[in-house]
Amino acid sequence: MTRFAVPICLIGFCALAYWQTTQFDRVPPILLRGMQPADFPQMVLLLVVVLSLVLIVQAWLARGVEADGGDPGADPEPMTGNVWKTMGLFLVFAALAPVDLFLGLGVFAGCLAFLWGERRIVMLAVVALVAPACVFFLFDEVFEVRFPRGLLTNLWYG
Amino acid sequence: MEPFIGGLMALADPQLLVLIFAATLAGVIIGALPGLNATTGAALLLPFTITMDPIPAIAILTTIYCAATFAGAITAILINTPGTSASATTCLDGYPLAQRGEAGRALGMATVSSTFGGIISVVCLMAAAPLMARAAYNFAPPEYFALTVFGLSMLATIGDGSPVKNLIAGALGVLAASVGKDLLTTVERFTFGMSELTEGIGFVPVMIGLFGISELLVQADRLTVERRQVIMKTVKLPSREDYSKVWKTILRSSGIGTFIGILPAEGATVASMIGYNEARRWSKTPEEFGKGAIEGIAGSEAANNSATGGAMVPTLALGIPGSPTAAVILAGLMIHGLQPGPTMFTEQAEFAFAIFWAMLFVNILFIFIGLFGAKLFARITFVPVQILWPIVFTFSIVGAYALDQSFLDVWIAIGSGILGYFMRRFGYSVVPLAIGLILGGMVEKRLGQSLIMLDDQWWLMFTRPLSLLFFALTFLALFGPLLWRRVFTQRDPLKSMGE
Repeated sequence: MTRFAVPICLIGFCALAYWQTTQFDRVPPILLRGMQPADFPQMVLLLVVVLSLVLIVQAWLARGVEADGGDPGADPEPMTGNVWKTMGLFLVFAALAPVDLFLGLGVFAGCLAFLWGERRIVMLAVVALVAPACVFFLFDEVFEVRFPRGLLTNLWYG
Repeated sequence: MEPFIGGLMALADPQLLVLIFAATLAGVIIGALPGLNATTGAALLLPFTITMDPIPAIAILTTIYCAATFAGAITAILINTPGTSASATTCLDGYPLAQRGEAGRALGMATVSSTFGGIISVVCLMAAAPLMARAAYNFAPPEYFALTVFGLSMLATIGDGSPVKNLIAGALGVLAASVGKDLLTTVERFTFGMSELTEGIGFVPVMIGLFGISELLVQADRLTVERRQVIMKTVKLPSREDYSKVWKTILRSSGIGTFIGILPAEGATVASMIGYNEARRWSKTPEEFGKGAIEGIAGSEAANNSATGGAMVPTLALGIPGSPTAAVILAGLMIHGLQPGPTMFTEQAEFAFAIFWAMLFVNILFIFIGLFGAKLFARITFVPVQILWPIVFTFSIVGAYALDQSFLDVWIAIGSGILGYFMRRFGYSVVPLAIGLILGGMVEKRLGQSLIMLDDQWWLMFTRPLSLLFFALTFLALFGPLLWRRVFTQRDPLKSMGE
C-alpha cells in the first residue's frame, strides 16, 4: 500500500508547494537577469512529480510481487512502541523547551533513558542532570554560546 | 612547493597536533559506538568547530572521517556488527577469524591495511586534487552547472535503495536549498514571514537531524538487539606470511578505493564492496572467503580507508562532495567562509595542504591506536544505548542551537530527524537529501549565471564540449545501469529465456 501512498503524498506536497511558488514576487522583465525567482523551485517540483509518477508506474508493474524483491521500504514493519514513545517525548521536549531549554533536555534525556529500560538512579542522574549541565557549561564557557533565558539558565545568568 | 611546505608548517603547531590526536580518539570512539558513524560524528561535531580557525576546524572533521571509518572494523571483527556500513564486508571474514581465536590477527591486518590504504589515498589526493583544480580553473558557469548536475545524478547510486527514490530525496534537498532569499533577485521564497528563514535553511541543524536524531529513532526500534563480543587476547601485527599474501590486495584495493572515492557521491561503502570482491576474484584461495580469509579483511579495509582520501579530491577541488561525510565537511568549509573549488589551490593552497598533511598524520596514528587501543575501544561498543542516545540528543539539540543561537534551528533539527526516520522506513536514503541541500544553492546559482552568460539560450550549454561531456556522463549515470542490464539480458541466453 505504501508503494502508492508515499508517491501520492509527494505529488500532493508538490502541488501545494507549486501553488506556494505562484505567490512569490515576480521581477519586472526589464530588470530580470536569468530566471524568475519561482522558476527554479518549479522545475525541481516538476522533477519530483515526474519521479513520483515513475515510482507509481514501477509499483503498478510490481503489484503482487513480494516487496522484499529490491525495494526495502515498500512495506515496512509497523513502528514499535518504543518509537512512538520516543516521538511522544519530542512533544514533551517541545512543551518544556520554551520554559527552559535545559529543563526540556534534562527531562527528555531522563525519560528516554527510563523508557528504554535504564533503571539505575545514578545513570539516570548522569543522563538527565550531569550530561546537560556539562554540555551547557562547555558551550557557554568554551564556545561562548548564549542560551535563551529560562527557569534554570537564569540561575547562572542571574 | 611553497604551499606544500607551508601546509606542513601549519600542522607543526603542537596545539593542533594534540587536537588532531584527540579528534582521532574521538573518531575511533564514534566509529565503535553503536549507531554512530563518520557522517553522524562529523555532523554532531560540526557545531564545536564553528568558533575555531579554519585549519583546526576542518582538520578535526577530516580526522573524524578517517578515524571513524577505520574504527568500524573493530566492531565488525569483534561483535559481527559493522561500526560503519563501510565495514560490512569486514564482518564476512573478520568475525569468523575472531571466532577461531584470531581476533588479534584480524584486527592487526585491519589496522595495517587501513593505514596503508589511507596513506596511499592521501598521497593520491595531494597529487590529484591540485591537478583536478587546475583542469577546472577555466570552467565557466555552464561547465560548473553541468558538473554539479552530474554530481547530483550520482546520488541515484547511493546506498541499496531505489535510484528513483534517491533522486527524489536529492531533488527535495535541492528544493529545501531554495528556501530564503533568491541570490539573483533577492525575492524571498518559502519563508512564510519568518525572518530567520531569510538566509535559508542552515546545513548544521538539518545534518544533525538527518544523521543524528533520525538514528535515535532507528535505535528505538533496535533496543532488543543483543551484542556479543569475541574474546581477544592481544592485537598483533600480521606475520610475514600474511604480508606476502596480502600486499597485492592492499595495493589493488587502495587503488580501487581511491578511484571510487573520487567519483562524486560514492563513498567508502561501495569501495569496500568492490575491494572485497576484487580481492576474492584475484585470490588463489577464493573458497576461503567468508570463512576467515585474511585477504578479505585487507581488501575491504584498504578500500574503505582509501576512499576517504579519494572522496576529498572532488570535495576540495570541485566543491562536489565525494561521500556523505565529505558533504558534512563541505558544509563545514562553507560555514567557515571557504570556497571549495579551483581557487582553493591558488588562494588557500596552504590551508588545503595542511588538511592533506593532517589526514596523512591521522593515518599514521592508526597504527598505534589500532594496535594498542583496539582492546579498549572494543569495550566502548558496549556502552548501553539507553545511556548513549539521550546524551547524543542533548549534544544534537545544543549543537543545532549553537550556530545561529536560534530556536528555529532546534525545531528544524527535530523535524529533519523525524523526516529522516520516515524516509529510511520507506526506503529513501537521507544522504541524497543532505547532499541536495548543499549542492542546491550551487546548482541554482550556476544555472542563473549560465543563463545570463548565454543570454537565456540554455541550449547553447550543449554546444560547449566540457558541459556536453558532463551532461553525457549524467545521462550515463542515470540510464547506464538500465541500458547495461538490457544489453546483458539480451546476450545471456538463460536470462532471455526467462530462467
